[in-house]
Amino acid sequence: MTNPTTGGKSKPRVDPKLLEILVCPLSKTVLEYDEERQELISRASGLAYPIRDGIPIMLPDEARVIDDDAKS
Amino acid sequence: MTRDNELFDRALLTRRRARAASNLIAHDFLLERAAEDIGGRLEGILRDFPVCLNIGAHHGLLGDTLVRAVKPSLLIQSELCLPLVAQCHGARVVADEELLPFAPASLDLVVSALALHWVNDLPGALIQIARALRPDGLFLAAVLGGRTLQELREVLTAADAEVSGGAGPRVAPFADVRDYGGLLQRAGFALPVVDSDLIEVTYPSARALMDDIRAMGAANVLKARSKRPLLRRTLALAEEIYRSRFAAGERVRASFEVITLTGWAPDESQQRPLAPGSARSRLADALGTAERSAGEKADPKKR
Repeated sequence: MTNPTTGGKSKPRVDPKLLEILVCPLSKTVLEYDEERQELISRASGLAYPIRDGIPIMLPDEARVIDDDAKS
Repeated sequence: MTRDNELFDRALLTRRRARAASNLIAHDFLLERAAEDIGGRLEGILRDFPVCLNIGAHHGLLGDTLVRAVKPSLLIQSELCLPLVAQCHGARVVADEELLPFAPASLDLVVSALALHWVNDLPGALIQIARALRPDGLFLAAVLGGRTLQELREVLTAADAEVSGGAGPRVAPFADVRDYGGLLQRAGFALPVVDSDLIEVTYPSARALMDDIRAMGAANVLKARSKRPLLRRTLALAEEIYRSRFAAGERVRASFEVITLTGWAPDESQQRPLAPGSARSRLADALGTAERSAGEKADPKKR
């Protein structure tokens, strides 16, 4: 078993195979991966779930509420 | 997401688990036992489980067992408490057992050790697990059952009543085998099996038992838990009652009931009962006897 989340020393990345399986816990719909901001975005729920040290935090209480009409 | 009718205070549970995270390894005998048992059961199942999910991963014990037992190509470690999941190997995710973030029909195996008994909406969690499994995927979980800490429950109630004239619940209630069986069936699992194992442990004192439970991050998180702190007098009395009722030599005994749930996501290939009337041979022939219709059975002479 390899651990691809700790590829380099620089920044732990999320396992791409995990990203394929993760959905929004509220709407169970697909997520967009924002690599730069390290967020998983659910358009259906209007929430951005943070990724900390390569670990997605899939808790609605910890997610950032996104506002599509304002600046992205 | 807090509702008044919830049984458990999940925020408190997360804080307790976080506090226990650094030293859980010293108090994980129950987890170790549950993980070993699940690993043993998996080794007896001759098929591959490429994508596995461990719900309530704690510090990764069961995940490590899983890697040895089924060698998955992807192991997802899901846990409510970040300081705990950070200690796990594999693909890690912070998630609430009541709001699982996994796509439908994406998993081959879902396991869980000693986590799901703290869930408020267990039917909901089980339905989400059933949906996230691929057809013929397996769900295998160990949870604490109703006989867990029955001695401590009895003793604290007696001591509380004697000292302060009333008692609030200090030990959380857990469901029993029959409850879990019904829940598995309602969630849509095929071939559900529930079995129970009573584990007896001894401690030097009732106090040592309570300290150990706290160190497991498993202290009472009932919303309706008694908010009065245990008085020193109550504790002393509890120690005395515990020793008089549940002594084991110099030590005291405590029991933990571990209930194992097994269920499969429904699939065409699984065995199922035939439709009534579809039999090709008669039972009477197999038994070598004559078949009689129900109406002829009663013997008038006997009346």
